[in-house]
Amino acid sequence: MTTPKIVSEFRAGLASGELLIQNCNACGKPNMWPRYACPHCQSEDLGWVSSAGKGTLHSFCVLRQGAPEGFEADLPYAIGVVKLDEGVQLGVRLEPHGDEDWSAYQCDDRVEFAGKDDGRECAVFRRAQG
Amino acid sequence: MAENWTLNVAPGAANDPVFVGVGEIRTGKFPDRSFIEALTKVAILALRDAGMVPRDIDTILLIPNLHSAADQADLVFSRMVEELGIHGSCKASYMVHSGGSTSDNAVRAAHGLITAGHAQNVLVLQCERWGSADLNEMITMLSKNGIPGEWELPTGIQFNAIGAMITRRYMHASGSTAEDMASICVTLRKWANLNENAMFYEKPLTVERILASQMVADPLHAFECPPMADGACAFVVTSTENAKKRGIGNAVRLAGSGGCVSHYCLSQEPDQAVLGWPLAAERAWNQSGWGPQDADILEIYDSYAAVTAIALEGIGIAPKGDGARWIAAGNGDPGGKLPLNTNGGLLSAGHTGVGGGTALLVEGIRQLLHRAPSSRQVEDCQRAIIGGTGGSYMDAQILLLERTKLGA
Repeated sequence: MTTPKIVSEFRAGLASGELLIQNCNACGKPNMWPRYACPHCQSEDLGWVSSAGKGTLHSFCVLRQGAPEGFEADLPYAIGVVKLDEGVQLGVRLEPHGDEDWSAYQCDDRVEFAGKDDGRECAVFRRAQG
Repeated sequence: MAENWTLNVAPGAANDPVFVGVGEIRTGKFPDRSFIEALTKVAILALRDAGMVPRDIDTILLIPNLHSAADQADLVFSRMVEELGIHGSCKASYMVHSGGSTSDNAVRAAHGLITAGHAQNVLVLQCERWGSADLNEMITMLSKNGIPGEWELPTGIQFNAIGAMITRRYMHASGSTAEDMASICVTLRKWANLNENAMFYEKPLTVERILASQMVADPLHAFECPPMADGACAFVVTSTENAKKRGIGNAVRLAGSGGCVSHYCLSQEPDQAVLGWPLAAERAWNQSGWGPQDADILEIYDSYAAVTAIALEGIGIAPKGDGARWIAAGNGDPGGKLPLNTNGGLLSAGHTGVGGGTALLVEGIRQLLHRAPSSRQVEDCQRAIIGGTGGSYMDAQILLLERTKLGA
């Protein structure tokens, strides 16, 4: 199966350093994850807006063993859920501070978009600078 | 604000569904015990417990397995009907599936079928072989269940990562310590040490040992992660009228239920320290007239300690923020104020996939039938709150069960 358009467009955004949020052209509400019809008004007239990339870290973990197949070489890695200021949420990877160190992160920390993960089709976030 | 739905059947009415028998075999690692063998054993055990034979069953509801698509196909295509020798007479055999909350929804299905007259005697069957399956295959399979492949699989998320995020958020919101969280596992182990069918029946556990075990997914230690196990159980539901005709004196009925599906993938859950429990509980109270104070026992899904602590708060058993400390204080222990997960739960009896919730439900029915071994039978047990959740804790399901005298 070919990659659905909403997925390829979101990933193209990530690859160019942009975090895209789906936005409904009919009701104006943001949707994440992107949907095939707006869950608020059922319109299929959907577009994208660029996120400011700022939000709070709802929770996170550092996976140290038991990676899914194909992710073994990534261990350890940190996964988090970010609540963006635009009002939507997404799952991300978290940037370590130093060598495999995520100890400074806490729930409700302010975080920011740091770009696309090097090897994965997902966003990386870090603690907000300054 | 929850709507008010009443059940369309009066307590004690002819078509009021009642649980009349349970069956279970030992949970653990049993590579030589086949899938169909285990299902056959628990079916016969449950039927005997109900005073029935296979021919009495007109409808089989199947709880799915997650270890094998081939075994799943055997279930879906009615193998158990033939194994039990009821081909030709059995009316329907089919699967209900909502992951870990399947048993709760299977009860709703059986209840509706009996109430409406589609079924008379329903056998619900479950078997899982997670303990004997290839661990890496199961980890990979579980990274694709309840996780959107296009959006979240690329982060490398899997089940322990999901449990760890919920645990961290819960600890942050409640101020619970690592010791509090580990104590929940110890409470469950105390119950498992009273359950010969539990995977860890003979193995004690301490907070110190848990906190000294390897970190798997911060903040979860190895001994706080669910042990994948083989297990099987079954139960029988019939109508009050049929139960009376059969001379059954005491049974268990459903006083009401409540549910809330709060998300599909964990990243879309508004509050990981709350989940769907408050709305599910409100719906359950509205339907039954019960409150949290009415339970004699709790059988609440516990694939991770935080999952149960969050449920206890949402159900109103413990004040907001005190779920873990309520359990750590021994309230749910054997001999405690309100026994919790009296079979040892998923964390200590064994995580049998979709079956973990089924085993808790079966234990609740067993306690209410007063058929648990004396070492763990809760005295004068009349009412139970059953709590289940599936997928990435996508839903909160509550069943309120009560012992009923049929006057036969």
